[in-house]
Amino acid sequence: MSTQTPTTTEAAAPEPGEAATKKTLGIGFWVCIGWLLVMVFVAVFATRLPIPDPKFNFIEPGQAGPSKGPSTAHWFGTDKDARDVFARTMYGARVSLTVGFIAIVFGMFVGGTLGILAGFFRGWIDRIFSFMFLVLLSFPSLVLAIMLTALLDRKLFTISMILGVLAVAPVGRLARATTMQYAEREFVIAARSLGAKNKRIIVRELLPNVAIPMSALALLGMAVAIVAEGGLAFLGLSVERSITWGGMIQLGSDSSKTLQNQPWIAFFPIGVLFLTVFALNFAGDRVRTYFDVKETSL
Amino acid sequence: MAITLLFAVSALTFGAMNVLGDPLFNILGPIARDTSNPKSVKLIEKAKNDYNLDKPLPIRYGLWISGFVRGDMGVQFSTDGQPPVTELLKERIPRTVTLLILGQLIAVLVSIPWALLSASRADKFVDRLSTATTFMLVALPGFALAIILKYLFAIRLGWFPLTYRALDPLQTRLFQMLLPGFVIGLPAAAIYQRLLRTDLITTLQEDFILMARSKGVSKPRILFKHALRPSMFSFITVVGLTTGALIGGSIVVETVFRIPGIGSTLVEAVLRHDFPVVLAIVMIVATAFVLINLLIDVVYTIIDPRVHR
Amino acid sequence: MSELQTEMRQEHQPLLEVTDLRTHFRTERGLVRAVDGVSLTLERGKCLGIVGESGSGKTVLSRSLMGLLPSSNTVTSGSVKFEGKEILGLPSKQMRRLWGREMSMVFQNPMTSLNPLMKIGQQIAEPLNLHLDMSRADARATAERLLRDVRIPEATRRLDQYPHELSGGMRQRAMIAIALACGPTLLFADEPTTALDVTVQAQILQLIGEQRRDRNMSVVLVTHDLGVVAGHTDEIAVMYGGKLVEKAPTSVLFAHMKMPYTMSLMRSIPKLEDPSHTRLATIPGRPPDLVHPPKGCRFAPRCAYARDKCITEEPPLRQAEDPNHSYACWYPVGSPEFNQREAELNSGAVPVTLEAR
Repeated sequence: MSTQTPTTTEAAAPEPGEAATKKTLGIGFWVCIGWLLVMVFVAVFATRLPIPDPKFNFIEPGQAGPSKGPSTAHWFGTDKDARDVFARTMYGARVSLTVGFIAIVFGMFVGGTLGILAGFFRGWIDRIFSFMFLVLLSFPSLVLAIMLTALLDRKLFTISMILGVLAVAPVGRLARATTMQYAEREFVIAARSLGAKNKRIIVRELLPNVAIPMSALALLGMAVAIVAEGGLAFLGLSVERSITWGGMIQLGSDSSKTLQNQPWIAFFPIGVLFLTVFALNFAGDRVRTYFDVKETSL
Repeated sequence: MAITLLFAVSALTFGAMNVLGDPLFNILGPIARDTSNPKSVKLIEKAKNDYNLDKPLPIRYGLWISGFVRGDMGVQFSTDGQPPVTELLKERIPRTVTLLILGQLIAVLVSIPWALLSASRADKFVDRLSTATTFMLVALPGFALAIILKYLFAIRLGWFPLTYRALDPLQTRLFQMLLPGFVIGLPAAAIYQRLLRTDLITTLQEDFILMARSKGVSKPRILFKHALRPSMFSFITVVGLTTGALIGGSIVVETVFRIPGIGSTLVEAVLRHDFPVVLAIVMIVATAFVLINLLIDVVYTIIDPRVHR
Repeated sequence: MSELQTEMRQEHQPLLEVTDLRTHFRTERGLVRAVDGVSLTLERGKCLGIVGESGSGKTVLSRSLMGLLPSSNTVTSGSVKFEGKEILGLPSKQMRRLWGREMSMVFQNPMTSLNPLMKIGQQIAEPLNLHLDMSRADARATAERLLRDVRIPEATRRLDQYPHELSGGMRQRAMIAIALACGPTLLFADEPTTALDVTVQAQILQLIGEQRRDRNMSVVLVTHDLGVVAGHTDEIAVMYGGKLVEKAPTSVLFAHMKMPYTMSLMRSIPKLEDPSHTRLATIPGRPPDLVHPPKGCRFAPRCAYARDKCITEEPPLRQAEDPNHSYACWYPVGSPEFNQREAELNSGAVPVTLEAR
């Protein structure tokens, strides 16, 4: 035959949908990062910021009910115990962000390690770890989280670890798949044929490549963990004796009367929680497209 | 494989319950720690005997699992053991199942036309708007959506009742489940829509779609008759897999709308440290989850003639 | 107007009349001029071959003629008249009455062009239901007859089979059956044999030829292989870089080809009489960038016979000795300049230099 390559349909017009995939993170991404940085700042410096004391009861004599709508003194209003909803929302960021962060770091570390080992050594190690992931994934995550909180205590660190365990299986699966994909590549085979030790190959050749798709999923994973913590708190199963968004929302909606007459108690924390989760999801999604990570298993 | 998995899941759950928690304490409360009082010791002995706590763990597991398989899930620790766990769950499971089916039905019925609309106008205004909407729905935690919908449609507009009432006639109860069904169904619909839209757009670029166009097939007919079925594979997988997540979601929804299903029962049991109930529910949910995944494989062979096993 | 008059009028006008057709795609890189000023006519019952390398715009041309390109980023201009009526730019709602019924298309790859999840019978019956309003049973009977027409053995059984259960050749036959279902007057065949084995290729071309004669149908055969069109077409149009560069009745073209490009295409056909392992002449270089096409003759950068004029000035389509033969070249095959260069090339006096691309 000739030099021509007649196998493909020539000069097909670019279809809609795949157009405009430029390699930029976009303004939306930076807006989301900005919001997240504000939340982190608030969480870290909550005690030093000029906001009211979240545990103080602002009861004014001669007023009908303790809960009041938003005003200049109390931006988000006050709750049934006359506490400042704005201050409590700001303090609530502490638990949510801490739990989300520790959980995903734990999940990444444990899941990543197990996944890379499984993907690299294959054989029985792979079989054991994969089965472990499968068992973990056989529980709906909230059910597993509830079961574990029932057995353990409800300290900040424990809750973080429980949610971290939930992240192990999805992260591990992704790490395993990515490792297997890279372990077949030329540069790894080359390194091996040059006599590099397993440890060296894993650390020097595989880890950097597996880390990219994993880091892309870290933001999404953190969003999942924050939602899960919110769910637990809403059910009264999260960190005890702390201000949490889930707990505040529960307080604001435990009776239809409260929800009807003082909607601000529930809706302001819902708004902040939503924006935070949305920002994490959006930023995570942008990062994923940016690095072109296909897997969406988190 | 599924049997091995179920065995591992049950052993893990049972083991965790008995090793991490103290069953005796959960049955008797502070009395369990009060070994100096002879009255307490008597009670402890009786409880150990009643609940087989003096036997080694593997035997207890064996006794429990054989009971579980035969439909005997033991006795509740709280409420003096009445009704037995099996009876309790028999009453509560149908409600959760109804809620889940309703939720999935809403999700599927909403997502398919939505995805077809989006895919046929890819990157146009309608499509962009719906992508933004799915993003928001996914970012909204279930309990938040539950409260928003309850506030809007039950409290402000008054279209739906506020809570579920177990004693109402069937029709009324189904209507009461509708709003909770939407709380479960809408985020799932968003996930399905995004997935199906992407797959539809890929399918619409296939040669056989151009072929169908060249036969003079109309656009709606191309979407329904030619593009939809080949785009359904990951959709079906995800619908199956999401069922598990929806069980998680139903816990929250049942709590908000006061539906006595297994989700709210689980939360109550956890708060009361009633382990047999927790154990039974976790096992039932995990089993259902594993079986659903098996079912997906079967459905696959039905919709794709190329898969022969 | 009586039927007789309609028929008479149709006798005098060509089935398809294309004037200065341009199809451009808006892309991020710029405007891609995939088809750039093509004019041609096709009579009833005749077969036109459109030949060119991949990237020459021949597939886009056939799809523009049929109106199958996505409208969102495509700009078309010029005129396409089918049975005397302008069809270029008609909305697909109106084109749909022609598609499948008056004109249909056979695609390159039967594996991907047949719906994998629909039974063969259903795929043939679909246009019958849509256009001819046939009942289910009638459509099934017709589908079976069509499968026999395209010589698929065990036609009855095939109706209920899926595409993956058929062989490549049979799939292509099935696709032809679908295209022929409603008895179209114009059939586009876009590289119908490229994805097939050599032995099957000949059979498929034969089949298309037979059906054309039986049904007095016109065929546009699009291919990269000049050898494929040689025995099966009445007329050949050679495309390069989105333009028609040579057009002639088949016999005239092979006897008196004018374009060096046509000649190179000709040389890249393997010949039976060649000893085995003969090196095939290939055309060096790549097809032109259709966003920024060369200023002069678009083939000039790859043409061994090109001179300065070729690079600066675009050659118009000129008539050759035969009134039906036209070509676009300043120094066609047989001209003094061509012969001079040919002699130099053969003697090795001038090294073949190609503009670096």
